[in-house]
Amino acid sequence: MAPGKKITARIKRTLPVRGPQAPTLSELMRWYCLNTNTHGCRRIVVSRGRLRRFIWILLTLSAVGLILWQCAELLLNYYSASVSVTVQFQKLPFPAVTICNINPYKYSSMKDYLSELDKETKKALETFYGFSEGKSKVRRSAGDWNETESHFSRQIPLLKFEDFSKTATDLRSGRKRKIEGSVFHKDSSIVNSGDSNDIIGFQLCDANNSSECALYTFSSGVNAIQEWYKLHYMNIMAQIPLETKEELSYSADDLLLTCFFDGLSCDKRHFTRFHHPLHGNCYTFNSGENGTILSTSTGGSEYGLQVVLYIDEADYNPFLVTSTGAKIIVHDQDEYPFIEDIGTEIETAAATSIGMHFTRSRKLSKPYSDCTETGADIPVENLYNKSYSLQICLHSCFQKAMVESCGCAQYTQPLPAGAEYCNYKKNPNWMYCYYRLHEKFVKEQLGCQQICKDACSFKEWALTTSIAQWPSVVSEDWMLRVLSWDKGQKINKLNKTDLANLMVFYKDLNERFISENPTNTLVILLSNFGGQLGLWMSCSVVCVIEIVEVFFIDSLSIVMRRQWQKAKKWWNDRKREGSGKPPQVGDVERQGHDNPVCIDEDLPTFNTALRLPLPQESHLPRTPPPNYSTLRLETAFTEQLPDTLEAGQH
Amino acid sequence: MNVKKYFVRALHRLQKGPGYTYKELLVWYCDNTNTHGPKRIIKEGPKKKVIWFFLTLLFASLVFWQWGILINTYLSYNVTSSLSIGFKTMKFPAVTVCNANPFKYSEVKHLLKELDKLIEAALERILQPTHGDTITPLLLNGSDNASEGLDLALWNQIPLVLIDEHDKDNPVIVEIFETNRTAPGNGTSPGNGTALENGISPGNVTAPGNGTAAGNETAPGNGTTAAPPAPSNTTSEEKKYKLAVKLCSHQGSNNCTYRNFTSAAQAVTEWYILQSTSILSKVPLQERIRMGYQAEDMILACLYGAEPCNYKNFTQIYHPDHGNCYIFNWGMDKEALNSSNPGAEFGLKLILDISQQDYIPYLSSAAGARLMLHQQKSFPFLKDQGIYAMAGTETSIGVLVDELERMGYPYSDCTMNGSDVPVKNLYSEYNTSYSIQACLRSCFQNHMAEICGCGHYMFPLPEGVTYCNNDDNPGWAYCYSSLRSSIRQRQICIDSCKETCNDTQYKMTISMADWPSEASEDWIFHILSYERDMSTNVTLDRNGIIKLNIYFQEYNYRTISESAATTIVWLLSSLGGQFGFWMGGSVLCLIEFGEIIIDSLWITVINIIGWCKGLKQKRAQARYPDAPPTVSELVEAHTNLGFQHEEAGAVPSHGTARGEALPPEPGTPPPNYDSLRVRPLDALGPDSDAETE
Repeated sequence: MAPGKKITARIKRTLPVRGPQAPTLSELMRWYCLNTNTHGCRRIVVSRGRLRRFIWILLTLSAVGLILWQCAELLLNYYSASVSVTVQFQKLPFPAVTICNINPYKYSSMKDYLSELDKETKKALETFYGFSEGKSKVRRSAGDWNETESHFSRQIPLLKFEDFSKTATDLRSGRKRKIEGSVFHKDSSIVNSGDSNDIIGFQLCDANNSSECALYTFSSGVNAIQEWYKLHYMNIMAQIPLETKEELSYSADDLLLTCFFDGLSCDKRHFTRFHHPLHGNCYTFNSGENGTILSTSTGGSEYGLQVVLYIDEADYNPFLVTSTGAKIIVHDQDEYPFIEDIGTEIETAAATSIGMHFTRSRKLSKPYSDCTETGADIPVENLYNKSYSLQICLHSCFQKAMVESCGCAQYTQPLPAGAEYCNYKKNPNWMYCYYRLHEKFVKEQLGCQQICKDACSFKEWALTTSIAQWPSVVSEDWMLRVLSWDKGQKINKLNKTDLANLMVFYKDLNERFISENPTNTLVILLSNFGGQLGLWMSCSVVCVIEIVEVFFIDSLSIVMRRQWQKAKKWWNDRKREGSGKPPQVGDVERQGHDNPVCIDEDLPTFNTALRLPLPQESHLPRTPPPNYSTLRLETAFTEQLPDTLEAGQH
Repeated sequence: MNVKKYFVRALHRLQKGPGYTYKELLVWYCDNTNTHGPKRIIKEGPKKKVIWFFLTLLFASLVFWQWGILINTYLSYNVTSSLSIGFKTMKFPAVTVCNANPFKYSEVKHLLKELDKLIEAALERILQPTHGDTITPLLLNGSDNASEGLDLALWNQIPLVLIDEHDKDNPVIVEIFETNRTAPGNGTSPGNGTALENGISPGNVTAPGNGTAAGNETAPGNGTTAAPPAPSNTTSEEKKYKLAVKLCSHQGSNNCTYRNFTSAAQAVTEWYILQSTSILSKVPLQERIRMGYQAEDMILACLYGAEPCNYKNFTQIYHPDHGNCYIFNWGMDKEALNSSNPGAEFGLKLILDISQQDYIPYLSSAAGARLMLHQQKSFPFLKDQGIYAMAGTETSIGVLVDELERMGYPYSDCTMNGSDVPVKNLYSEYNTSYSIQACLRSCFQNHMAEICGCGHYMFPLPEGVTYCNNDDNPGWAYCYSSLRSSIRQRQICIDSCKETCNDTQYKMTISMADWPSEASEDWIFHILSYERDMSTNVTLDRNGIIKLNIYFQEYNYRTISESAATTIVWLLSSLGGQFGFWMGGSVLCLIEFGEIIIDSLWITVINIIGWCKGLKQKRAQARYPDAPPTVSELVEAHTNLGFQHEEAGAVPSHGTARGEALPPEPGTPPPNYDSLRVRPLDALGPDSDAETE
């Protein structure tokens, strides 16, 4: 023998590679069905009668189907969350409370900047509505009108429409002119445009291409004038440096008359200044800037924040703001206060009591829901120096788009790096650009709404606001006197319409924490799988391995063996045909190795494994094994099924 | 007899053992168990055997690991919450209405007269216009005509003082009223009870170390004009004077704190509250109720749904903060009313009069009605949960009942009825149910009674304690004030009180409108005045009248209820699922396994006994130098000890004994393993053992 053959023979001897014991596929299947741990298969094999067998096949198949369906369902529902609400009674951190005067800057100190604009606004009122503001707080300067070139109106002409034809009266020249360009309606003026024939609006033109104009009309002159004023106002404010603006606005001493927190006195040192582009100087109580966050350990109005605000009504800008009072917002320390969006207004001459209820919520992030933990995965740079929120993202996104397409930043939002605020001198085109962009933003064409996701965790203070008269009729006298003393104005008593009393407190110290938890863990998923498998077929992973073993490995090897034998036979036949020799010993040997049936080797049964001699007689009473006669008919496999057979058969 | 026989037999069986070796046992187990893995081990070829052996081990350990996780999950007592929203017929909430002002000024004037005089005089001093920017509250002695009739004893119990802060580092305390004592309380207290917790409080005005300085400066004997303290730099915006309340542990003592205020208005209010509390606490309850607002004066009209109601439908309670309060639908003596329709038409409509002219001027500066919605049989804590309704307006309140139903211990740390809270609930005198607010207040009052020796007027009294007043407890204000600002005390109360498991909140949507309208004002006032006072003149005005609408919203409840996320059923099914998933096993499999363990233990015990016996025998044999026993004999001795033992117990040869014993044996026959089959001893003996081992 060649040495190679020797080695292979040795390997074969020491490591006998044997295929499955069944010679054919159908026998393998039969063997599997009888020996498997799953329940249905056995019934198929042992059932008598075609109908019964057919039913069992159907049942087994449907059980398999059910298992697959249910398991798929379990898999699909894996990423679901359940909500749990916990309530904890504890010492609660007091939120930051940001307080602003509705009027951003003292009108008296803004005169230098705004007198021109005001003059022009008044002129416009006079031309359009035929009245002149007689007793204005602003110096009348009608005479100057003709001398000073009305550059505001030139930039953005205010127009009055005779009817809805395309002719309009220009404020500046007073002459009628034809309007081209698209018309945008800021109000829903379309509805009543038919009967109203004095629609007022303004025209914004592309500075580079004057033929491209957009016309904004309003059904009410109030809105039109205010909007027009605001545009110019922002232009002017954008040119004033921040330090100056802060000086022009209210100081803490101006705004806060008294302060009381948790039963103790506090003063302006507890407030942090925060400059808001639209509301001027705002003051944040408990902003956490110095590292400490105040907390409340008692609920109730006495233990919250109580402040008396001085709202200097006489110093209000008549065109910019038309309501009187203060605006407050309750927010978390690292949240940006979007006063203009979600502020609560505070009335003057009244005590506003705001009871809070604290709720903390937490969502599961991916893959459970589409939210972001920190905002780091959002491709929009956070322009605000605060933690991420949807609002911040939207504003930042718009500002970015603004800088990109208009070349300058919008005044009400923070500046991105390297950009500066729009003003008419440097960017004559910005208003038109801004309006266009804003239109797009609202119509969700900028993609901001798609990019920005909501934050996964948020804190919410639910507010219950109620108002009482303050000071009461009988206490008004002494209260105003004492408050005037506090303010340091000894001679002229304060007016109660300049004062607002505000109380912010926790209604109770219960913190509600709403959190999402994953419903399923891997352990539970596997348990559910196991439950399903067990319920329908009493199957387990072992069965699955069995199935893999039998249906893939064994079947494949049987098929392969068949093919191999066929090929061998065919080869031998050809050889024999060629040489006429009888079959060789090697064939038998190989067969013996390949085909376990040929080798006299049984499956190890209990008896054979122990090599116990079989009993001579079996007279002892014992429970008879299940007497399925079908089993007896199976001659081919009886040797391999000792446990199902009567031992006595041997 | 039978019993004895039975026991003997049982003993025999015990001695005999299960009758096979470990290996037999294992193989039998693997072959017959219902778990899926072991069967494979013995049924496959040698290589597969190894694979299956490790697979089975792996799966078994997986099962145990996962079981550990599951049991851990179960023991963490998670809950899931379910939310339901909708409309259903519900109990209308109890509605408490009070006046923001506790007593009619006309009724209590005689009590507070002195106080008012004092504060008016004090304000006069403080607010007097002075030259330049520096004001110097002038001090006078008793001879001055302005101070005549002032009850300075009352003032001195809790005086207000001015703190002169011209010199930042060395604030000077200026008394407002000069008294006979020249050195007013050489206050050298560390008193920074005023400091906010973070310590950034402005001017922790501690009386300057040499408090006499203040005394000297402010006591120039008969000087009607005290020398103004250092003429200051008038340009600074900083306010120069602050008001403070001086609190001493007892009159004339040096242990004083100055509770200073940045605002004089606050200081005055605070001072007035302290003083009036002391005065009013001496007034008996009946008198106090009489001084408050009466139901018929306050509640002018009432309509519930379509049914009229009047002030008699309200339960009166005396609330320390707000005097007489009236509760509609409290459910104490009557069944609570249900509301089965949403909308203002089916709610409660009230018209109240708060008669603002009769307010106590210094006590409460805000005017309006105080109202609160709460559960039946619970005490209204208006300071916490109450809202204001403004005079001259119609306030509409849409109600959504927000309920939270929680599971008690061990799922969450809450209390069902407060019986397990270590604080004595003082509000039980009102017959009200436990609430966290009641617990906190009771806790405070108990502490107060313990430390200060008297109870605070705002809370119910514990047994055997009286309310604090200046005469009996001169230091109470000091004590109270230090207790109130003590963080430790609050923390103790927070820790000892538990929230209730069922938490009901009434979410209110509040809207307001002016009422009555100018056009209707006249006739409405006429009618209401006539109905109340039988007068044809208008006795009401805009400053007193309030209209309230309280009704259920379209969705009137939102219930969050908890249920256990992991029940025992869940645990069992998960355990079963895991076991089934990996090994196809069940509880019966575990029992099988237990059986095997018992059997093997049994074998072990028998083996050990046999081994000991063998040792003894050996020793015994060693004495007789006989031929050593053959191997087969030894093996037999090892394996069939049970039988030997029986022999020792003088039982006939086992073969026959067994043959005889078997047929009458009741119950299940012994497991019939092949090895058990009776056959001649020698035939079985060494030969089989040798092979199995």
